[in-house]
Amino acid sequence: MLDTLSLMGAGFLNALTPINLLMMAGGVALGIVIGCMPGLSAAMGVALMLPMTFTMEPETGLIVLGAIYCGAIFGGSISAILIHTPGTPASAATAIEGYQMTLKGQAGKALFTACWSSFWGGLLSCISLYFFAPLLAQLALKFMSAEYFWLSIFGLTIIAGVSSKSLVKGLISGAFGLMLSTIGLDPITGVKRFMFGQSFLAEGVNTTCALIGLFSMSQVFILAEKKIVQRAKAAKVSDKMSLTKEERKILWPTIIRSWIIGNLTGILPGAGASIACFVGYNTAKQFSKHKEDFGHGTIEGVAGSEAANNAVTGGSLIPTLTLGIPGESVTAVLMGGLIIQGLTPGPELFTKYAPMTYTFFAGFVLVQFFMLAIGLLGCKGFAHISRLSDAILIPCVTVLCVVGSYAIHRNILDVVVMLIFGVIGYLMRKFDLNTAAVVLALILGPIGEKGLRNALRVSQGSIGVLFSSVVDWVLIILCVVGVLSPLLMNKLEKKSQAAADANDTVEKSGDAPAAD
Amino acid sequence: MKMKKTDIGVVVFMYAMCGYWYYGTTQLKESSRTYPYFTVALLFGLTTLYLVQMLVAAKKHGVTSGVDEVFKDFKPAQFFVCLAGVAAYVVLVSVVGFFVSTVVFMTVLMLYLRVPVLYTAITVVVLNVLIYFAFTRFLGVRLPAGILI
Repeated sequence: MLDTLSLMGAGFLNALTPINLLMMAGGVALGIVIGCMPGLSAAMGVALMLPMTFTMEPETGLIVLGAIYCGAIFGGSISAILIHTPGTPASAATAIEGYQMTLKGQAGKALFTACWSSFWGGLLSCISLYFFAPLLAQLALKFMSAEYFWLSIFGLTIIAGVSSKSLVKGLISGAFGLMLSTIGLDPITGVKRFMFGQSFLAEGVNTTCALIGLFSMSQVFILAEKKIVQRAKAAKVSDKMSLTKEERKILWPTIIRSWIIGNLTGILPGAGASIACFVGYNTAKQFSKHKEDFGHGTIEGVAGSEAANNAVTGGSLIPTLTLGIPGESVTAVLMGGLIIQGLTPGPELFTKYAPMTYTFFAGFVLVQFFMLAIGLLGCKGFAHISRLSDAILIPCVTVLCVVGSYAIHRNILDVVVMLIFGVIGYLMRKFDLNTAAVVLALILGPIGEKGLRNALRVSQGSIGVLFSSVVDWVLIILCVVGVLSPLLMNKLEKKSQAAADANDTVEKSGDAPAAD
Repeated sequence: MKMKKTDIGVVVFMYAMCGYWYYGTTQLKESSRTYPYFTVALLFGLTTLYLVQMLVAAKKHGVTSGVDEVFKDFKPAQFFVCLAGVAAYVVLVSVVGFFVSTVVFMTVLMLYLRVPVLYTAITVVVLNVLIYFAFTRFLGVRLPAGILI
């Protein structure tokens, strides 16, 4: 206990260095910019900035990525409130009440509520990160080779189900990624496999290049295929950006409820911020004393959605850091960043690398304060950025993809790999396959392969070794649950979204003049 | 839900990948074959499962082209110009150098996408300066120099 407290204290001291503080501020600002632009996503932003973190200390690099993540999730609410277009899917529910408030001339109040609730949602989620992450990491200490194999399969079953319209297509994406992960030298015998005569593929497909290609470059192609349209002008913020004491008091129960919802959604495999925002919004409505205000623009609706989606951030880091199982695409990219720094998610992060991990946690706490400050001070400016045309984004993001993938090994062939994965990612997205599953498979593939082959070597080829312990069976059951959970999550999301839409429609029709 | 004809392409591609990987695996030493075989079997099994799902959907609900859905609002000229531009840019980077090719690529593409000249100029300058300071000065990355700079 004392050890943990001293690690936490040391973490804060390390996180408070000028360079870390500077990176937090920069990361949050960049994240908000990325989040408030409807063409860009949080995963894309984190992937794009990944190469920038290579030369940094691991904790600083992770803090930057965490800052971009939190900033982007909040940033989505700015365009949701001011131009009725959520910057990220995580702010879809915010648009319902937020834009109604803007129409009533309360844009400032809506933005303040979004920022305030996001801050508390994110900050409170750090508590569970501190509390649950070490506990779960201890569980991972019991893992042997066979367990690591099942763990990699479990990770894939989870991510494959997320953001895929078809579960089987999601699983196919994961299997496709596993196949690509066999490119390179055999990790045990050193035999060349599927290298197409290219020696730079000896270490396998570069995960960062694949990440940038699948998430960022593919988005360039998605933007390039559509007609370039001018986005709506952001509404003017004419009122004061603040809340009264009374209003803040009203928001507290909503924030606490949404924190719990967001946190659980983040920890749960297969769920993410886009689901949490709708569940948070609906729960806020259910418990509200003024249900009739929902749909007309109420601060409780904005707070319910925003506190929930930001509470996901801390929650989703728990399985990512302890078990190496990211629940959504952003944390899959973050995990890629961790592995690129030479760190493996699991117990070691809380023993050997504990100082680094606790510095990251402390940084994650401080990031929430930066998000509050930068969000409140820069809301109006960020709103103008959200109008940036896709015609400008296309060449800018392309250049950043090229320079980012080149910077990894200073090799132009890495840029070519990134471009190939960009095309693969584009086609996958067009045909409803899951790019996040491919990324995770590229990360988990080698771990699973080593686990499987070491287990089989020890058992002299007997496959029974994969089913020999209780932990194996627990993981197998979790794999089955992992396959089934997206079906449940989809139902939950559809139900929450339908309820939110129905509410929106009823309220709007109530506003319309009655027909004769 | 109706079966989409476009999904036939997905199935054919995945089977082709399985075939290629299976052949490649047979060329490996026996001790290195286990895991690649496992991945091939996994992808083959899942693709077959999807094929069965498609056939059931076709029998129950009928067949739809799917092209309209996949290529909704698709602007072929704009898309292929951008794609060719990106490919040319990657080639140019290694030939004439990063900064020269970036200026050319961004200017040409933004003007093609009808960005006003002033905005184009500002964006090109700001991004190049930003990359120079972030990558070359701050991170110490030597960007491709090519035959120019």
